[in-house]
Amino acid sequence: MTNATVTQEPAKHAKRVKAKKPASLWSDAWYDLRRNKIFLIGSALVLILILMAAFPSLFSPIDATKAATCDLAQARKGITSEHWFGTDNLGCDTYSRVIYGARVSIIVGIATGVITAVIGGGLGLLAGFYGRWTDVVLSRLAEMFFAIPVILGALLILAMIGRDKAGAWFVVMALAILAWPMILRIMRASVISAKSQDYVTAARALGAGPGRIMIRHILPNAITPVIVTATLNLGVFIAAEAGLSFLGVGVQPPEISWGLMIGDARNRFLEAPEPLIFPAVFLSITVLAFVMLGDAVRDALDPKLR
Amino acid sequence: MRVTRGVKLAAGTALLALAVAACGGGGGDSKESGSAGAQPVRVQIAEPQNDLIPGNTAETSGSEVVSALFIGLMSYDDNKKPVNRIAESIESTDQVNWTIKIKDGYTWHDGTPVTAQNFVDAWNFTAYGPNLQQNNYFYSVVKGYDEMNPADPDGEEGPKEAPEPSAKTLSGLNVVDDKTFTVELTHPFSGFPTMLGYVAFYPLPKAAFGADGKLTADYGANPIGNGPFKMSKPYKRGTDQTIDLARNDSFKEGQAKVDAVQFKIYTDLNTAYNDLRAGNLDIMDQLPAEAIGGAKAEFGDRYIEQPSSGVGWIGFNVKTGASYSKNPELRKAISMSIDRKTITETVFSGTRVPADDQISPVVAGYRKGACGEACTYDPAKAKELWDANGGKDVKTINLNYNADGGHKEWIEALANNLRTNLQVEVQAKPYEKFADILNDLEKGKVPGGFRMAWIMDYPSPENYLRPIFATGGSSNYVKYSNKEFDELLKKGDSAATFDEGLKYYQQADDIALRDLAYVPIYFYTTNGAYSTHVKNIKIDPFEHIDLFNVERA
Repeated sequence: MTNATVTQEPAKHAKRVKAKKPASLWSDAWYDLRRNKIFLIGSALVLILILMAAFPSLFSPIDATKAATCDLAQARKGITSEHWFGTDNLGCDTYSRVIYGARVSIIVGIATGVITAVIGGGLGLLAGFYGRWTDVVLSRLAEMFFAIPVILGALLILAMIGRDKAGAWFVVMALAILAWPMILRIMRASVISAKSQDYVTAARALGAGPGRIMIRHILPNAITPVIVTATLNLGVFIAAEAGLSFLGVGVQPPEISWGLMIGDARNRFLEAPEPLIFPAVFLSITVLAFVMLGDAVRDALDPKLR
Repeated sequence: MRVTRGVKLAAGTALLALAVAACGGGGGDSKESGSAGAQPVRVQIAEPQNDLIPGNTAETSGSEVVSALFIGLMSYDDNKKPVNRIAESIESTDQVNWTIKIKDGYTWHDGTPVTAQNFVDAWNFTAYGPNLQQNNYFYSVVKGYDEMNPADPDGEEGPKEAPEPSAKTLSGLNVVDDKTFTVELTHPFSGFPTMLGYVAFYPLPKAAFGADGKLTADYGANPIGNGPFKMSKPYKRGTDQTIDLARNDSFKEGQAKVDAVQFKIYTDLNTAYNDLRAGNLDIMDQLPAEAIGGAKAEFGDRYIEQPSSGVGWIGFNVKTGASYSKNPELRKAISMSIDRKTITETVFSGTRVPADDQISPVVAGYRKGACGEACTYDPAKAKELWDANGGKDVKTINLNYNADGGHKEWIEALANNLRTNLQVEVQAKPYEKFADILNDLEKGKVPGGFRMAWIMDYPSPENYLRPIFATGGSSNYVKYSNKEFDELLKKGDSAATFDEGLKYYQQADDIALRDLAYVPIYFYTTNGAYSTHVKNIKIDPFEHIDLFNVERA
């Protein structure tokens, strides 16, 4: 009996080791993620939201972008069998508007996340790798932007652009201008620590040029904290977009955005709470989904934090 | 270049401060309102378009302040009948030559007496074309106006400038003595004395003018008036967020009940309304549409609802505007696709009345249903008319409005009407301030539709027609010009009796309704409210708060 168990154990272990080959950080992380409930819930929500943003008509029979679907006479009539989430001040169906509003949030969140990661990550790599004056120039530049609070700075930029021109892509631009330095800092610190590793010295000794060292050796080993931060930031950007639209400088009607809907509904909240509550709930869920996703990714990629 | 950018930045910061203030508005900071004795009565306004000069003030916010600082020859009683104020008598035998005598004892804030010369100086200044005063056009009835305002050879938009005027003063004005002056008009005009209560005809003191005969730079910021209140400190337009007034203790008609009034400038009516609820503001004479439903219950006795002289329009620049602005049939189609009834009922909680005439129901001359088919909601016919007149080529209709007047909701509702019924793209564009859209309108820089409204200056049907539709009228932002219309107004002015004059005015009204340069949407109701710190609040049909009689509660 004892014999049997002893022989079974190593076999099981050997099998697992074999399956993990080649064991890299990424496959390890993926292995962890698949078993993480938070990740599963978060990514399921994100998938639904992305689907909602791409194909809103799958979720709502009413096309909220068509003004003809609004009937002013039906304004603020509360929840009915026809309007599940009630109607807003202009008699538009809140449910379909909430569904169609997902697009702006997802676009702003993902586009800003990607742009900041690319710009901040790229410049951070250069600053960390070359050091000296490149680092001085890029770091000081980043600090200048870093000193401006994101929401206040974006408010200022968008107010200068003017309401008539403002739209989702201007919000992306305003947020990206102010948010990239955060990524630069993280990337730079991570590159500096990777640069002094033995494998970099080895690569250099073998005659690799700076480009090859950066891309093949340093980047893969330094990028994890950037991915973690960028994922967590998605939720922050989505909330920022809603905030800016709420204040009237972000996305402009007739585009649909949750922040805009909340802003429009707030003055009549006591009379008709539905058009405020539902976009607010969706906004919270979306931000939560991205934060859960980011958290799970961080846990998986950086086991030291656990 | 640098200056412009600095200005823009400053504007951004102001917006920011306001936005932040808006967030904290509902907090109910009532600590500072405890010491009511030392605190001025705080009144909401938007930013005045121009400096506080009567001749250059043609919008409601500025005139709210100006009419606290100045008084004119006439005022209007509760029945909107003109009564003498500074005037002792205004007499004429032929309706062309008028003799105006003024009362003793009225003084300027600097102590000098109000004389006949003060009126003549002010009127000459306003009537002189190159001074670019907003209310210039009101003087076109006075003899000598044409010499002071030569026509621009190629129109306002052309590159050529108007020639130098051949006269610097109105030849029709004549000072007889300190207390008497005469006015000669271009044609018989029985309604002339009725006009004289309007801000355009207020006097200006000697001290206002510099050596060159122009107003001094200081005067616009710190005007010396003759009214129940005076400036307590100069007002820097564009920077200051309040205009502070103190009681004029030597006012002939007695002393106002409160010693200080503060006009607070808001860029958002909802922010102002939150301040009113929190006790940080005392009087609003126009509530945001969203608030009207709840305000009745919340303010009870302190909620004011009364008929107003206001008419709300969507205007179109018929001369240099977009294709749909220029085409009367397309304008009619737009008008017919607007569901006035539902907008007034839903957005304004029934406190507006669908408009069916250019003339408000509060003055004689209003005819129910005068607008007829053009103001009746008929989506099918509207679409037919739209398509038949090339509406299909219109890509986007632009609707411009000012965000500081609480107009967003009904403009959006109206935009939805157009989108649905005409199947056209509609872009609603907010301007931060009323003053900004007015400035753009004056330069003809608004090609699309725009929101505008009119509150009468003096109680006459003519006031709903001439300043708005006559060629060169002071508020003719649509650049409308029609000879027949202008002639009918003149005939109306010269008519022997009021009723006969009315006939001509109504014919002119019919032309204005046919061409629909301004599409009438609704008649206003005054929806105001005030805080517990004040009482005895009266708002007149001109939308001015009677600040003289306001008391602290």
